[in-house]
Amino acid sequence: MSSSSATKNAPPSLLTQRLNKGASKDRQVHHLGGYAFGPALRIERYAMGNGLSILLVEDHAAPTVAYHTWFRVGSRHESPGKTGIAHLFEHLMFNETEHLAAGEFDRELEELGAESNASTWLDWTHYDIAVPSSAFERVAELESERMQHLVLREAQVESEKEVVANERRYRVEDDVEGSVGEQLWATAFERHPYRWPTIGWMADIQGFTVEDCEKFYRTYYAPNNATLVLVGDLEPERALAKLQESYGGYRAAAIPDPPLEAEPEQTAERVRELTKMTPTWKLNLGYRSPALGHPDHLPLSVLTEVLFGGRSSRLVKALVRDREMAGDVRGSLSPLRDPGLLEIFVSGREGFRADQLQSAVDAEMDRVLAEPISADELERAKARIELGLLQGLQTNEGKASTIGFYEVVLGNPAAGFERLQALNELRPQQLRDLAVRYLGRNSRTVIRVEPQPGLAAAGEGE
Amino acid sequence: MSASSPLVLLERDASLPLIHAGISTRSGADDDPPGLEGLTRIAGRLMRRTAGGKSPDEIDARVDRMGASLGLDAGHGGVALSGVVLERSFADFMNLLEETLTSPGLALDELERLKRETSAELVEILDSDQQLAQRWFLRSVFEGHPYGRTVIGTERSLAAIGVEDVRCCLAREFRRDSLVFAFAGAVDAERAQQAAGAIWQRLPEGGGAPPPPPEPVAAGGRRLVFVDKPERTQTQILIGGIGSHPRDADHFALLLANTVFGGTFTARLTQEVRAKRGWSYGAYSSLGYDRQRQAFSMWTFPKAEDAARCIALELDLLQQWWESGITEEEFVWAQRYLVQSQAFARDTATKRIGLKLDEMLNDLPEGYHDEFVARVQAVSLEQANAAVRNRISLEHFVVVVLGTHSVIGADVKKAIPNLAGERVVSFDTE
Repeated sequence: MSSSSATKNAPPSLLTQRLNKGASKDRQVHHLGGYAFGPALRIERYAMGNGLSILLVEDHAAPTVAYHTWFRVGSRHESPGKTGIAHLFEHLMFNETEHLAAGEFDRELEELGAESNASTWLDWTHYDIAVPSSAFERVAELESERMQHLVLREAQVESEKEVVANERRYRVEDDVEGSVGEQLWATAFERHPYRWPTIGWMADIQGFTVEDCEKFYRTYYAPNNATLVLVGDLEPERALAKLQESYGGYRAAAIPDPPLEAEPEQTAERVRELTKMTPTWKLNLGYRSPALGHPDHLPLSVLTEVLFGGRSSRLVKALVRDREMAGDVRGSLSPLRDPGLLEIFVSGREGFRADQLQSAVDAEMDRVLAEPISADELERAKARIELGLLQGLQTNEGKASTIGFYEVVLGNPAAGFERLQALNELRPQQLRDLAVRYLGRNSRTVIRVEPQPGLAAAGEGE
Repeated sequence: MSASSPLVLLERDASLPLIHAGISTRSGADDDPPGLEGLTRIAGRLMRRTAGGKSPDEIDARVDRMGASLGLDAGHGGVALSGVVLERSFADFMNLLEETLTSPGLALDELERLKRETSAELVEILDSDQQLAQRWFLRSVFEGHPYGRTVIGTERSLAAIGVEDVRCCLAREFRRDSLVFAFAGAVDAERAQQAAGAIWQRLPEGGGAPPPPPEPVAAGGRRLVFVDKPERTQTQILIGGIGSHPRDADHFALLLANTVFGGTFTARLTQEVRAKRGWSYGAYSSLGYDRQRQAFSMWTFPKAEDAARCIALELDLLQQWWESGITEEEFVWAQRYLVQSQAFARDTATKRIGLKLDEMLNDLPEGYHDEFVARVQAVSLEQANAAVRNRISLEHFVVVVLGTHSVIGADVKKAIPNLAGERVVSFDTE
């Protein structure tokens, strides 16, 4: 192990020149530029002839490498009746390949000491492997194998559908917050694919066939639809040579645009009332919010922090501490390619109904519209955002996740730090103007949850 | 004899302008007096909220202004006041820790508010099937032992806690010889020592680690606790009993055997329950420890219709593991996995300091983590299989099922041969 700064290497142009000697067009690697990533690190961007994007950060602080593969496909690419296939497919990617029997992929990774996981969301699918640096080359072989040589069999697809159905029961059907959140998005969006959950509707999950999965794989799992993010204890030339060997034989595919329908503007408040097996009332609100790439997103994220970030934030202080109406208040701004929601979840305390919780939320929202954010509130929010970003960068895994996320959603892997810099330009008045623009009641959706009658315990029976 | 300087652990890493800082005590909720369960947690939180006699609002705003987080975790064997702060605010952060420990206001109205908040947390837990199952599992495995007691408290015990109880609790826990200061990140030894010393010298002398709780004892045969909750489409199932402690001579052998049984994604349990049958999104077994042996447990969450056959399968797998052990091939694989994956147990300064604290606070053999790889490599296949038979009981274990009893209760009971006792409790039984 050496220091955290990068070691001296050949400049990228010389390096690619050496790598491309005698290589076919698909295998050639081109250096497309670099980005500062914080004070000490640098992201180098490469592309292979077949369209595979590669973002590489050399950091020798620990003898590990984060090997992340991002595919630009998520539930936004699905259609009604086939919801959840991107997520189901993420599960199937851990199965049999042409050269590995079922289970061998994970078994070998574990034997190498690697930790692997995956996640799917509205805009992307992400496979992450944390690998001891000594095993990097074998992981490149394993990871590239499943990009193009997956084998889909009926028994495995059926079993994995059952696993996903169980995941849905765990995260949604038997989870109050999960099921309410799903209803919020389904009510707030009428046309855009963000209206269905990434995990998919239960009937759709149970209806998938091997053919559906094959079609999805052949459509979206191609090198030109993927970005590799490699961070850690690696030597660039050797790493790129291995990637050339592992992925260079793959051909680019024609990736279709997602079947998107623009979401019409919301002009009136939408309200749904649900009854759930829960001891207290809940309230879930969603205000239409801008896409991550919109200039308003960053200031709105600061406003979200002022309102919901930590115990000193306005709504947490008002509802949890001062008025003791809620056990929990949370707010988050969706970081998506297309406009999403500023989502608020309130879990009431016993004795407080959803309409009372909503009145209290509204009072605080009205205050934002009426009074400017103080300079102190703004500074606190900025400091919290800075802390959050830095905390996410403590491991190679964290760095690779941050880089890959901003690359896939914005096309800019260094956007995390750039957004941090831009915070310095923000002024309190801007936040008030934003509140007027985005926090109107006509552009929001409200889900109220009433506890099911008779929930009270029957007492202990032996 | 009292120490002449504070005990300070440090892992320096200046690659990011962040510092993790924490102060841990060596006694925790196990020392809560009977009837005052939850006292340690309440006392620690009240101290955190009234540092320097200030209001919680002032303190929370100050923490946010620094670019910091500061929390208090209470466990069975200790309390940790810890957080992370931007390097530029380190001095102020340490001043806040000093005010927290040396001059908390402990205002009565804040205590009452905190108790009401904690009561609300107890209600919130009713929404979490996983937490409810876990609560009944520990309560049942460690019946009559401190590890079966609640850390958060009950409605009745919370009501009984007064300011004087809080003062006594803090006076017992926060003494010079009871504390371990830990720092990780962009701070050097001199600055860390100085910051810790400034707090330490203002605290009362004495303290030290209290004796550990008694060794937990397995008893009672095979017992079923059914936590009845209406309308569950899915169940939460925990099966297990007393596990192992790193002081046990066969601890590493059992760790290896458990890695094969349910310790990873390709372990037997996950393969049989999830990969082959699709019955549960997760299927794992684990070994926990505090200052004494904690539980060995298997965790699955199949849909209601699959619960009984999933339990039957798990018990079959448990019996096979106990009777036939693991194979040479499995053993070699598990050894490689545990050795290679150690890179991720210590790849950040925060993780490395966590390992040091774990060793110190949980009475682990000296060098437990530093010598982890060598100790794993020293285990033989025969030792691994003997450890399963020695530590895992097929006669004494608890099965906790959270589900809807009227729908699956009878089938679940049939799935457990030689059941010595069955108990059905409503999910909202405190």
